[in-house]
This record gives sequence, C-alpha cells and structure tokens, in this order.
Amino acid sequence: MSGHGAEIVTLPKINPADAIPADKLVFTAEEKAQLQEYKSRYPEAEGAVMRGLWFAQEKFGFLPPEVIRLVADELGIEYARAYGVATFYTQYYKQKMGKYVLDVCTCFSCQVCGGYDMLHHLEEKLGIKPGETTDDGLFSIQGVECLGACGSAPMLQVTNGPYVFNLTEDKLDALVDSLRSGKMPPFTSVTLPQDEEEMGGNRRSDAAAVATYQTPPVAGAVE
Amino acid sequence: MPKVTIDNKVYEFEGRPKLLQFCMEHGIEIPYFCYHSAMSVPANCRQCLVKVGNPQVDRATREPVLDDDGNPVIQYFPKLQTSCSMDMTDGLVVHTHRTDELVARAQRDNLEFLLANHPLDCPICDQAGNCPLQNQAYKYGPEGSRFEFDKVHKPKKIELGPRVMLDGERCINCTRCVRFTSEISKSNQLTIIERGVKNYPLTPPGVVFDEPYSMNVIDICPVGALTSKDFRFRARAWEMSKTPSIVTGTSRGSNCYYWVKDNEVMRITARTNVEVNGYWLADVDRLNYRKFNDARPLGPDMVSEGARVSTDWDGAYERAATLLRGVSGDEVLFIGSAHASVEDNYLLMKLADHVGASAPVYIPHVEAGSGDDWLVTDDKAENAQGCERLGMHPVDETVVRARLDSGAIKLVYVMDEDPVASGLFTADQLKSVDVVLHYYNTTNETFPVANVSLPAATIVETIGTFVNDQGHAQRVRPVKAIQSMNRSLMMETGLSRQDRHATPFDKWSKAENKVNCQPGWVTIPEIASRLNLDLNYKSPKAIMAEIESSNPAFSGATYDAMGLTGARLAEVGTTV
Repeated sequence: MSGHGAEIVTLPKINPADAIPADKLVFTAEEKAQLQEYKSRYPEAEGAVMRGLWFAQEKFGFLPPEVIRLVADELGIEYARAYGVATFYTQYYKQKMGKYVLDVCTCFSCQVCGGYDMLHHLEEKLGIKPGETTDDGLFSIQGVECLGACGSAPMLQVTNGPYVFNLTEDKLDALVDSLRSGKMPPFTSVTLPQDEEEMGGNRRSDAAAVATYQTPPVAGAVE
Repeated sequence: MPKVTIDNKVYEFEGRPKLLQFCMEHGIEIPYFCYHSAMSVPANCRQCLVKVGNPQVDRATREPVLDDDGNPVIQYFPKLQTSCSMDMTDGLVVHTHRTDELVARAQRDNLEFLLANHPLDCPICDQAGNCPLQNQAYKYGPEGSRFEFDKVHKPKKIELGPRVMLDGERCINCTRCVRFTSEISKSNQLTIIERGVKNYPLTPPGVVFDEPYSMNVIDICPVGALTSKDFRFRARAWEMSKTPSIVTGTSRGSNCYYWVKDNEVMRITARTNVEVNGYWLADVDRLNYRKFNDARPLGPDMVSEGARVSTDWDGAYERAATLLRGVSGDEVLFIGSAHASVEDNYLLMKLADHVGASAPVYIPHVEAGSGDDWLVTDDKAENAQGCERLGMHPVDETVVRARLDSGAIKLVYVMDEDPVASGLFTADQLKSVDVVLHYYNTTNETFPVANVSLPAATIVETIGTFVNDQGHAQRVRPVKAIQSMNRSLMMETGLSRQDRHATPFDKWSKAENKVNCQPGWVTIPEIASRLNLDLNYKSPKAIMAEIESSNPAFSGATYDAMGLTGARLAEVGTTV
C-alpha cells in the first residue's frame, strides 16, 4: 500500500524487560487521587482508560507494558483492555520516543495529496524508518491515520502538539531545522465555518485572508 | 402476536429477539462471522446486512399508506442494517440476499474486503473444509478480487498459550475470542491490538493464554486464525468423520464431536447442548482422547497352565463362564463401572443376580476440590449417577478388603474398571483369587493378575446411555469402528468421505487401527448364555427400553427421547 512493497506487521515483544525501574513505577498519593477523579467522571471505570493512559504518558514520557498495567490496576480495569486501547492510538507512545515526534498523516486525503512523499522525504532526511528514533534522540517519525485536518493536506503533527499544514519538502526542511534549534512551530488555529466572522472571513491564523479559504454560508450552499 | 415479514413470508414472534437469531432459529440462512448466540453483539464483521423497513403511516390520519394497487408502502431504512443487532418490531419488513439485489451485492463486496488481506492459506489451513469464511466466500463472495497490491503480512506462528496457536494474517477481527475471554471465561487474557489493517488478537505482554477453557476460542474462530497446538496439521477436515457424543473424564457429560481418521480419534470439539455444557468444553476434556488410540489390547487372552495365552472370543467366554460355574454366588465380587454405560451395568447386575451374587458395586473416582463451578467436576467418572440410579452403590473398601483377605471371595469379576490402580486391592492380594477382567487399555494395572481378560469397547466404540451429575441421560454413539463391526453398517456411526466412498483396497483405507474388542452388551450376554441365562437383546436400544419401563429412576430415557441432546431425568432422593 505504501508503495514500498508489502506492509509487514511485526509481533510486539511477548516478555519485554521492564523499561521503567520498579522504584519509579508508582503513582504518588496525589496522582492516585487524580486518577480516581478521572474515573469518577464516567459511569464505568473503563471510560477513564484514555484519560488515565494520557496522564501516565505525561508522567513517564511513554507507555511500556508495565505502565499500562499500572494504570489498569489503578483504575480497576482489565490490563488486556487497556493494552488494546494503548496500541490502537499512535498518540500513545509504546516505546521511548525522540524529543520531537513527527506524526505524518498518511490517511486518505493526505495520501492523495502526497502524504507518503512527505513521510519518505523525512525518512531520507533523518535516516530513519517510521517508528524509529534518530541516534541523537531528537526525532521520531510515524505514519499515522487521519488527524482531522484534511482541508490542509498533507499535514503532520509535532509531538501530539501543533499541526503543520500544507506540507512541502521545503517546509519540512525548514521545520526540521527550526526544531533542531529548539523552536516549536506555532499553534495554528483552524476555525469552524460558524466562527469565520470573528476572523474576518478567514479560516486560519497562519495565512492571510484570501478568497480561497472563504466558505459560502451553509444555508446558501445547500439550496 | 407481532408479525415480521422476511422475504415476503410472514412469521410470528414473541418478545424482542434479534433478527439474525430469529432467522437462524427459523432456518433462514444469513451469512455472518462475528455473531455468537452466547455473547454480546458487536456487529463488526458487517456480513449479515439486510434491507429492513416499516410500513409507512400517514402522519395525519395514522393510517397505513397504500400504493395504487392497495399494498402498503414500505419505508426502508436509508442504509442496510446488520441483522445481528437489529431488534425485531411488529410489522417489520425484511429482505435478505434472496429477494434483494442490493443486499446480495453488499454481502459480496463485504467478503471482498474481508478477503483483501486474507492469505491464500486454504491448502495448508486446518480450518479448510470446515471454515465459515471459506464456505461463505464460495456461497456469497465475489468470483475474484480487485485488490492487486501486496497483502499486509502479519505474524503467522504466535504461541498464545500452551494449547492455542494464532495466525495473525488469517484473522478477520470478529473479536469472538476476545469476547469469550472477557464475557464467558472472564480470564481477560486476550485483546485486539493495533488498528486498521494491522490489528489482530493477542495477549498483552507478560500474559500467557493458559486458562483452562482456552481451546474454546479455536471452536468459535470463524477462520483458521486460532488453531490447536495439539491438532494442527494432523488431518484435513474431509478426511475425518465427525460423530456427536459426550466427553470422558468428567461427570458433567459435556457434549462433543469426536473427529476420527483411520479409526483413530484425532480431536474433540464442543457440541452445543444448552442444558449441559452450553457451547463450551474444558481443555482437559478435549485432550484426553489418546486413551482411545494408544495401548489398546490385541484381543482376548487368558491364563492357561500358568502362562498367559491369547485366545479367541469363544475361548474367553467359555473360560469366564467356567470360572463363574466353579464358585458359589456369595464367593463372587462383581465390580461394575462408572465408566461403563447404564446398559452394560444393567446386564452385569442381571448376571450377578443369576449366579446368586450380591449386586455389583462401583468404584467412585471423586477427586475432591479438582472441579470448578463450570464444566470440570470433582467426579472424574462419566456415569456414577447412572450406576446409582440402577441401584449400584460405591464399593465399601474396608468390608471388601476384609472379605478378600479372609478368603470369602474366590472370584473377582471386574467390568471396565481397574481396582488395582484405584487402590481398592493390591496386585498381590488378587493373585490368590481368580479375576475376570473387561478392560480398555493394556496399561490397566489389574490386567497382569487377570485370569481371563476381555478387551472392552470404550465410550467411543459402543452404544449406550450415560447419566451426568445433574441427572441428564445422554446416548453415546460409536465413533470409531472395532474389528467385529463394519462402521457403515452401524447406522449410528458418523462417516467420513473415505468411509462412504473408499473400498478396502484403496490405499487410504486402514484396518489396522480397528481394535479387537467387544462392547459389554455383546460379551456379557455371551457369558450369560453359557450359564443358561438369556440376555440376548436385539440392541442396546432394547435394553434401555426395558430399563426405562421397569426402573422409575430412568423414566423417560428412551433412545428416541434422548436423541442428540439427552433427556433430563427426575430427581431421585437416594441418588448422590
């Protein structure tokens, strides 16, 4: 599918060594209370699985199996279920990632607009394959599924944070350089059609208002 | 009563059944993979799509809207619906693939998607020939595939646990196995990992899929993704016969199929019986089949002038009868068996009565604390309840040992049991008396001290009735042939393609695995006839009919009433 021959899915390690030492693998009383508070927001404990995993990723940086088990035990849900959820989302890092994780969208719209070209450009530039991290620990790249910004395809997301839209190879080079110097791309606001008036008819905060971005009023467009 | 119209035919229904379940129960075939009657409905395989609608009602008048011909106008749902998750309501109009081209096309296209990354493993796959995906692809699927790119490759040899192997590529992610572990066995050892084309079921790291019911996921897997480590690559589905019967090693009498190739049992799979075992079978019950194939006797033998010599059946019958003639009735101890059928034990009781001995006893096989609250029972024998209902009682070890030591017993007549292995007597104790033994395996520890030994047909070679610990009487059927019987003449036996079509001269027809043994309902009447007792019934069916009519504890347990799923007998106050 990727144009690189068959896609090969590898088996996760069945019995990996613990990545987090046992003495570090604990939640403090405050963190436990926070997790219980998340749990109380939902009718069932399983509802809090995503918030709990996210909380743990913020604390530990990534989610090795022992952390997933810790979260599951703390929330009183099944480890297998929590592991299934954690592996579903590329936003949960199952291994230690680089300082900047570049999630290049390769789903339908981005794929059509050159998402894989962007991903392969990064692969060549950084000398790593998707899922790998550069030796200096600075960059990881992943090909990910739809991040919900099809209107600005192709795009990527930096470390579960700001989006970078309408990628070109030059734009990627500039992005990597600026990240090397420690500068994150700015957060770009993309509004909904009903909010356009606030921004003077512009949909985006990173581009000047041009007619292309203006959406006709919904009612008129339908009739 | 509410009505539903399926393919222009009107059915009545009660309650609020799911549409797919209702169709299954009424013989309307709809293809599906993920649905299972015992588990929740995820509707994720999308194969059971149907077109559903309700009669249109005029909002103002609340009257049904009629077309020009006076027929009600049906307002169909804008999209096809999954019948597995569809609650039935009054007046529902359903079109399956039989009456709607769109439904047929949806099912065909869905199969094309399911097969997009499914490997072409069928020639080496255990499930082939017995595979819902294969069957439905032939029946409802497209002629070929339009996907011309390389298939996604996933791990193919994953040991999920000690008994179950996973082939990730073959999986269609129906989640039946995951739902089994989370809803039925509650072990929660499996989950679906990853997403999209990469997903497949797996244990989370550090977890082994070793629960005592793990092999049920092999049965419910609609493709060949989950296979038995024990059975893999040993036989193809069409080489085996599949006979409905019950398992051994548990007093629950869980229903199963025995799969036989070349007169050897290859595997045991679950058979649905909602009253006994539901849809499930314990792993121990599936894996204890080797005793039917291995260490089986070559034929009858007896001790003659101090040496063990093989003999023919007539010789063995005559010697057993001679030994019985040589002692008085109170000098014989008859040991029946909780492993043997009701019919065989009944005949043994008649024989004991005829020679004036007290009623046969049986040796209990209860291992306290070894059962669970599900299908594994403390009692490891299959028919203790049947023995009790016949009026047999567990052996009183102290009394019997004392009688043997004092010389009051001169002959021990053992049917389908092993008093030495079960600890009732030592082999030395039995050396001083004569022993007649009906036995299953040459590993029987009483066999070396037996004066006459008659190879007996096991539960997979006989016809008979077994009563489980809940009082459920069930028939067993001959699964594999024995030397004295032609399996295609025994109308009860399941037949494989080769049984039906091969001749003895074909190279795949093997006779050597036929054991030279006889069921109790043949051997005991033979011995009885030499003692002037006529026990010649036409068949085990006739024996059971006599028991049923004469013993109220078996009321209702005729062969016809038991059929394939058994008959629940009334509680008897005196039984265990």
